[in-house]
Amino acid sequence: MAAFGGTDTRARKLRWSLLNTLVVVYALVPVLWIMSLSFKTPATLNDGNFIPREWTLENYRSILSTTEFLRALVNSIGIALIATAIAVVLGTMAAYAIARLQFPGKRLLVGVSLLIAMFPQISLVSPLFEIERTLGLFDTWPGLILPYITFSLPLAIYTLSAFFREIPWELEKAAKMDGATPGQAFLKVIAPLAAPGVFTTAILVFIFCWNDFLFALTLTSTERSRTVPVALSFFTGDSQFQDPTGSISAAAVVITVPIIVAVLFFQRRIVAGLTSGAVKG
Amino acid sequence: MGRPAMRARPGRAAAAMGVALLAIPLAACGADQQGITVNLYYAPEDGLETVVENCNQQAAGRYRIVYNKLPRGADDQRLQMVRRLAAEDRDMDVLGLDLMWTQEFAGAEWIREWTGEYRAEAEEGTLEGPLESARYEDRLYAAPKNTNVQLLWYRTDLVDEPPETWDEMMETAQELKDAGDPHTILITGAQYEGLVVHYNSITASAGGHMLSEDGLRAEFDDGAVRALEVLRDFATSGLAHPGLTNAMEDDARLAFQTGNAAFQINWPFVYAAMQAETPELAGNVGWAPYPGVEPGSPSRSTIGGYNLAVSTYSEHPDEAFDAALCLRNAENQKFSAINSGVPPTIESVYDEPEMLDAYPMKDAILESVRNAANRPSTPAYQNVSTVLSHTLSPPSAIDPERTAEELRVSVQKALESKGVLP
Amino acid sequence: MSKERLSEDQASPGSPADAPGQAEVTSANGSGRGGRAGGGRSGRRTLTEGQRSERRLALLLCAPAALVMIAVTGWPIIYSIWLSLQRYDLRFPADQEFVGLANYVEVLTSSYWWTSFGVTLLITVVSVAIELVLGMALALIMHRTIVGRGLVRTSALVPYGIVTVVAAFSWRYAWTPDTGYLANLFAPGSAPLTDQASALAIITLAEVWKTTPFMALLLMAGLALVPDDLLKAASMDGAGPWQRFIKVMVPVMKPAILVALLFRTLDAFRIFDNIYVLTSGAQDTSSVSILANTNLIQALNLGIGSTMSVLIFLSVALIAFVFVKLFGTAAPGSDTEGRR
Repeated sequence: MAAFGGTDTRARKLRWSLLNTLVVVYALVPVLWIMSLSFKTPATLNDGNFIPREWTLENYRSILSTTEFLRALVNSIGIALIATAIAVVLGTMAAYAIARLQFPGKRLLVGVSLLIAMFPQISLVSPLFEIERTLGLFDTWPGLILPYITFSLPLAIYTLSAFFREIPWELEKAAKMDGATPGQAFLKVIAPLAAPGVFTTAILVFIFCWNDFLFALTLTSTERSRTVPVALSFFTGDSQFQDPTGSISAAAVVITVPIIVAVLFFQRRIVAGLTSGAVKG
Repeated sequence: MGRPAMRARPGRAAAAMGVALLAIPLAACGADQQGITVNLYYAPEDGLETVVENCNQQAAGRYRIVYNKLPRGADDQRLQMVRRLAAEDRDMDVLGLDLMWTQEFAGAEWIREWTGEYRAEAEEGTLEGPLESARYEDRLYAAPKNTNVQLLWYRTDLVDEPPETWDEMMETAQELKDAGDPHTILITGAQYEGLVVHYNSITASAGGHMLSEDGLRAEFDDGAVRALEVLRDFATSGLAHPGLTNAMEDDARLAFQTGNAAFQINWPFVYAAMQAETPELAGNVGWAPYPGVEPGSPSRSTIGGYNLAVSTYSEHPDEAFDAALCLRNAENQKFSAINSGVPPTIESVYDEPEMLDAYPMKDAILESVRNAANRPSTPAYQNVSTVLSHTLSPPSAIDPERTAEELRVSVQKALESKGVLP
Repeated sequence: MSKERLSEDQASPGSPADAPGQAEVTSANGSGRGGRAGGGRSGRRTLTEGQRSERRLALLLCAPAALVMIAVTGWPIIYSIWLSLQRYDLRFPADQEFVGLANYVEVLTSSYWWTSFGVTLLITVVSVAIELVLGMALALIMHRTIVGRGLVRTSALVPYGIVTVVAAFSWRYAWTPDTGYLANLFAPGSAPLTDQASALAIITLAEVWKTTPFMALLLMAGLALVPDDLLKAASMDGAGPWQRFIKVMVPVMKPAILVALLFRTLDAFRIFDNIYVLTSGAQDTSSVSILANTNLIQALNLGIGSTMSVLIFLSVALIAFVFVKLFGTAAPGSDTEGRR
């Protein structure tokens, strides 16, 4: 890896470590604050101390002992994974066609997908609610998966086709010359090259589904399909006006873990993908 | 319509199972699939599962109440119910309405009028203030489940006699400030319903009115202008907490618990919370009725609380009325009062001996509820509240005469649901 | 578009490693461009077998995505536009009537709307500008760092992964006087969330913190395309780090930068969650989305609320148009597509 600076490795390493620390602090301080809140006792919850004066696991015990939260966790993971998988597959197909093939209606498709990405979601919620109730999709997994796919597709198509345009298509041509059909050329040659783009897109889509609050609040009504961000708004404080800050913080920490795991897992692939991309240059 | 209802069955079963798992021992879990299900939609309330179970046992198989939790946020609760009612959802039977939505739901004909025996039972022994909040155009549309009233909480180690008026409170606070003691006054001053509640209480205490009697015209008479003055004077006195314009109930409570304030106006939940979290402080805290405006004339504090209504689209209205009455009967109100911290609407419950432990301030509550002020009665209350909270925030920018004139125009528009809301 | 062409022409001469780029163009000509020249205007019927199968494949590939998107959003969007032409309050269904553009007049003459519009524009411009700078720095660090890369990449993405509402609550608690660490640290004795300017600053901070990683991720994709030997060559020619960044990296990354900017701008313009939690729009901090929520969802005024939705949509479409036409953001499928 060629990079900035001279050849003095130790100084460079030091400089990078410093920069890295900066990034980590920037990214993690607000998260650590939530973690700290989740470990605080009710009495010290709002003393303004960054580090808890008294530690407790009570908040975690209380959320993990209810089906309310665990069931929501299962829903969240299932719905987000399925929606991500479908959106990435559909997005990859469409992005390939857009980046590579000539066909009538291409501009229309891109235009429509941008249109969808741009429409204020708040105004779509009420009609969607009515449609889903009529179709019996209300309060089901597919009832959330469908809108998630829809609203992540524009982003998926856009980023993927940007990636695809950078792929060395000579290889595809070569494959075709060797007698592969366009379909085979897509699957065997291009898909592996496109992997980093696909994984990046998958992360973005997954995070979108994982974080959604608006749709999940409107299109679910029971534990059958309620996801975690919404389940948080069903937690009870000791009384009507008390915010269950402790349990919310604990739940927030619990649901951040899968994201970190996902990023860790995908992050390696992206590195691999990016390095191979660099080789090409 | 038969089919969607059938499809909804498994959902109910799942919900029932969820509740069953949460609830304390359950005898007849999922026993009778043929039986009538009464779907209760209610805000998350700790302990309500037990009340529901009590009523299910009392119903003895005639129906089975399923508690469908609504989100914690009031706006989210209202929204979910409204959306379903607008779609004529038949799966909702009993609705838990914050009392300020009752007229709105009645006006839109989303909830049924209470008549005959049901009405008689709902009214019997119920305090007039809460009952008034459940009426619309002189008809009863809901049964009050719990009430709530704001009290003035003060530090007994700093203040000897609780102030009776806002002016007196500010004077005392100023003296404390001059002496270098904790002196801040905490109220719910954020731009939301909480601020409107204060304005309503002060207006009523000053003998004023925001709307005409029939709720069709924006009046803002002298009393309402006086209330604007009180709010402005308070906000500009330098005695309010610096976070005044972003403070909601829990913010005010937490700020009080840091020990840097002398007064707090808030609902009774703060006392139980204080005892649990900062017991030393709780020992030095007293309570008094909401401060008034003019010395000698008693204050009128705005009441809160929840009403139970029956959906127009319910397929089992009789069972629903019956279930609603059970959920709010004296015995269950006592249970909820003690376990969930919500003050009862049936007067006799206050005399129960167990109430004294849970509510040492119960006499103050009862007295305040008897003198209660209700919020303006109009189906467009949500609009009015939005306009009010926007115009009143920040209170320090109020110019009484000009603000009142502004309100007369914008609230009138809001009543007619015309124009853009802020 | 001519601008985009120009800038590329400027970028080309000095950069020896445009070679792969050239190769791409040639290959694109081979199948794509060439195909269109042959089968274009002059005769659709003269499509070769290969072109026809290409079209078939393209339609097959696009159909599922297009169908899902249209099925889910088609009706709601049309319904919203129709509602915007009605006087329709959900609580007074009897008063429903067609009012033409009256709702638009009402909204566009309302001072509330223009205040929110100004606030939204301000937040959008400021936060996207900061995000671009920070995002670029973050992308460079994530891409180039030689130590602890996994740690940096993972932690940098955490803010983006955290649920917005929860993050917003974290900021709210942090900035509340007496109870929050940031308020106690930076503004003891005052309440930053209760003043318009400082509240807007905090909203922007929360927004920037949350979405910079997204920006960085999109930029990193562009960064990966910068050939190393190009940087080496520039370095040997005596270009400093800053010159290498401006002269070599930025031109190559331009498409990625513009796409990232486009998406973030569209998104920032619809900011909702952070404001909702931090101030609920008090002290004139409400964005157009907050205003639409107040009118559409809370006041149940479907007419006025839908009008706002359509207006937000039009504003956002205008932004996208400006990006694509003026800055030449490569919209897939446009003429500049596949030519980089």
